[in-house]
Amino acid sequence: MKTQGRALAFARLFAIQGDWNYERMLGIGMGYAAEPLLDELKTRDPARHTAAVVRSAEFFNCNPNLAGLALGALARAERDGVPGEQVSRLRTALCGPLGAIGDRLFWAGVVPALSALAIAAVVLGAGVWAVAGFLLVYNTVRVSTAWWSLRTGLHEGLQVGGAVGRSWLPWAADRVGPVAGFAVGLAVPLAGRWLLKGLGPQAMVLAVFLAMGGVALSRWGGTHYSAVRYALVVLVLLAAGGMVML
Amino acid sequence: MSPLDTGTLLLLLGWGTLVALDLVSVPQAMYARPLVAGTVAGLIAGDVTTGLSLGVLLELFALDVLPVGAARYPDHGPATVAAVAAAAGAPWPERMGMAVLLALLLAVLGGWSLQRLRHRNAEALHDRAAALAAGSQPGLRALQWGGLGRDAIRGVLLTALGLAGALLLRAFPPFPPRLQGLLAAAAIGCALAAVAGGAARSAGRGPRLYWLIAGLAAGLVIALGLG
Repeated sequence: MKTQGRALAFARLFAIQGDWNYERMLGIGMGYAAEPLLDELKTRDPARHTAAVVRSAEFFNCNPNLAGLALGALARAERDGVPGEQVSRLRTALCGPLGAIGDRLFWAGVVPALSALAIAAVVLGAGVWAVAGFLLVYNTVRVSTAWWSLRTGLHEGLQVGGAVGRSWLPWAADRVGPVAGFAVGLAVPLAGRWLLKGLGPQAMVLAVFLAMGGVALSRWGGTHYSAVRYALVVLVLLAAGGMVML
Repeated sequence: MSPLDTGTLLLLLGWGTLVALDLVSVPQAMYARPLVAGTVAGLIAGDVTTGLSLGVLLELFALDVLPVGAARYPDHGPATVAAVAAAAGAPWPERMGMAVLLALLLAVLGGWSLQRLRHRNAEALHDRAAALAAGSQPGLRALQWGGLGRDAIRGVLLTALGLAGALLLRAFPPFPPRLQGLLAAAAIGCALAAVAGGAARSAGRGPRLYWLIAGLAAGLVIALGLG
């Protein structure tokens, strides 16, 4: 596979959710990213190329940071002349595992861990450098994962499922959760203290009372509770009540 | 509080649009996180402290939600930009409570607009179904760029609405100073509830829960040590 096509596909991975919709989810983004990888089929086997383009834009969903694994594996399978039904089956089979492991690793792990550590660093005086560090570390992890994903997918083809199981991904996904838990726990009192500084004891009591009430509601409030909804109700009621009383 | 000039407003509008695109479409580099969006908005508005403070506060709300696939979630990025525009230049915590109120309303609206965008993308897909079925590469490209363009328009409109709200709040502050202090405290309390509730939910009953408790203990010790 040509280096230029691979580089272009890699760049397009960062817009894989550019046409996210409820019918094909990441499908169109996958098709767009696959375009440069399928180019060499155009001259070699035009009929196969057309069928591959159609398949490349079908329904697909997974964590966007691991989409390169599927993209590479599917492009490799098309290039190797694997029957179309088998390519489609691989596509369907990859959705669940890549979604589950990617969401655990990134959305429930790396992002909250780094975000909470950045909050703690801001409170401890790092200022904008904490924010810059957050962006730098996250994007280093994310870009290198995307590159590894695409390379692994292209190398393994149909065997990509096994390759993911043997890779560092399950190990990292298992370990990053506790780190995120610790980091978020660390950030909560630090952020509270920092934000409430100078507001006076009455304000502190109100904040602690509302925080405890919100946590209780999130635990026992059922499906209708959301943190933003709770905050909106509290702020609107307080503003309306305050305008009348003060 | 000095007024925001046209150049600053245009820069904030551009930044809010980029931030809206980053949430889902491109490049998901996490500058849509309130901590980043707020800090940069603060730099643009000439008040980094307010940007950082509102960024931290709204990041606590963002930590409650996992932005997973088809889930509905608020769009906190442009909302944070608008909140910083509303409060920049005012002494902390004056205007913080109303800035958070504006941000949360806009975040909910942003989440709704994201759902509408996804439906509109599906309609565009239907319009080009024949081209897609024929393996048309220009059709595929048009869909991808169309989706990105629609999200950019969503970002411009959402940020413009937020900035209009911010200018109104700057021109006609609706609350007396004492109430502003209480609103600020309430906003902080709700943000702490959001992050703590979300963390407890994510932790479940597994080892992550023990690490969360350990982190809370360490945070409390450091917070008390800071005086």
